[in-house]
Amino acid sequence: MHCEHFEEMLAQQPDGPLPLEAADHLDACLRCRLLRDDLQAIQVAAQEWGSEEPVPPPRVWAAIQVQLQAHGLIAQPSPHGRGLYLQPAAAKGWFAGGWNWASRLELAGAYVLLFLVAAGLAGYQTVPVADPLDRPGTTAQVSRGALDGLGPALDGNMQRVVASFAEYDGSVALSLRQNLTIVDNLIAVCEKTVREHPGDPLAREYLYGAYQQKADLLAVAMDRSTLEIK
Amino acid sequence: MNTRALFLSGSAAAGALTMLLLASPAGAQTRKLEKRFVVDGKPLVILHNPSGRILVKAADRNEVVVKGQYAGNRIVVEIEQADNRVEIVTRLAGPTSSSSPDFRADFEITVPTEAELQVRTDSGSVTVESVHGDMSFDTVAADLALQDVEGYLVIKSVGGSLICSRCGGRLDATSISGSFQLLQPLLNHVRLQTSSGNIFFDGDFLSRGIYVMKSYSGTIEVRFSNQDSFDLRATSLYGLVVNQAPVVQDARRVPSPPPGMARSLVGSVKQGQARVELSSFNGTIKISKRE
Repeated sequence: MHCEHFEEMLAQQPDGPLPLEAADHLDACLRCRLLRDDLQAIQVAAQEWGSEEPVPPPRVWAAIQVQLQAHGLIAQPSPHGRGLYLQPAAAKGWFAGGWNWASRLELAGAYVLLFLVAAGLAGYQTVPVADPLDRPGTTAQVSRGALDGLGPALDGNMQRVVASFAEYDGSVALSLRQNLTIVDNLIAVCEKTVREHPGDPLAREYLYGAYQQKADLLAVAMDRSTLEIK
Repeated sequence: MNTRALFLSGSAAAGALTMLLLASPAGAQTRKLEKRFVVDGKPLVILHNPSGRILVKAADRNEVVVKGQYAGNRIVVEIEQADNRVEIVTRLAGPTSSSSPDFRADFEITVPTEAELQVRTDSGSVTVESVHGDMSFDTVAADLALQDVEGYLVIKSVGGSLICSRCGGRLDATSISGSFQLLQPLLNHVRLQTSSGNIFFDGDFLSRGIYVMKSYSGTIEVRFSNQDSFDLRATSLYGLVVNQAPVVQDARRVPSPPPGMARSLVGSVKQGQARVELSSFNGTIKISKRE
């Protein structure tokens, strides 16, 4: 079984048991195991948020969808299918076939999580994303517990993406690394400020903005990455 | 040396596709291409070029002229015209795993004055002169110079800087470490955000214009003239606000400053015909009088 086939099976049965053929592939393919683990992490995080709020707020998902579409990570849902669809590799990447759906899916998950981290820390009080479907507004607080451990995972993803640039353009990789450092420092300073002045809306707004910049940077890196299935 | 040029014809909707596939041994000579495409008055020109110098200039002719130059031995330049859209894409041929230090192409593109542009590049430089159509730029480290352009200008940059000279229309620009310089602008809507880069605005605030500039650690400097009339709101959480403008506080016209520890300056200069909002986390904000 090829990785592409495994991804299709995983998409068809995200919760159910995998067919024997897919399970065998999972045992042999580290790449697909990482993908499956990331998806499960997303699922666990979603369930934890769900435990606090049984129905996911439509505005949250609409905001995520808007952000993902704005950054070209997903296309509009197909009228013949369901869910969100990732853009074909050849549509945007510098290298034909150099970026594949699995990598995008995995890192898009990281992007979603990062966006949620930002939104959660900002308490959704400073997220001016309009719901395109004009559904009733809700607010959500992402639990701190659900966010534990996400930072290192996201940083790991970012490092993997940036590492793939060495083969293609050193100056781009250098720029991404430098700017990642800038944003990380920014986040650290803003977090410190929010801790010291938890009631200051401006401080929270800057922290949210810093996280959003990291999400944007990750999206740019993903877009240029040459990661592919090995 | 082996050079092949493939001309593929498709349906009318797909238009004509010109693919220049150049394969040559390592250390190959510089390759050049020149293509002309007849278009209507407002064509859309899309350029995806990872690295290199890009110059786009306007001419009063209904054609797009693409001149390219590159030395890489695996570079593929695809140029496609579909109706009134011309798309130029540079990419590498072959596997992506091998080292490709020469992945660089330079372009000089002449477009009709009203052409729309979409440029995506990673490193190098982009210069656009006298084009009066909407344009967007997506860069990582490439620097951008816009001169005498007009339209809706959207810029997304990671580390590249922008120098905008005599730009008109509307400008939305974001960057992390890139700096922005707006010289003699004729913009009526400006929204700039950078983290560690600096922002420099030297021009008139147009009546009914909106100017929003935000930084985290960089300096924001705006220069005003005696004729300027604007509402001002300048806020820095930890940085300084240095002001030379004759700001008059007027609570009726301007919202009160935000609560908390921020240093703020809120008020109006003359009748407040434009709106100027400057904000920074810990950078300095300067509102200076033009000499």
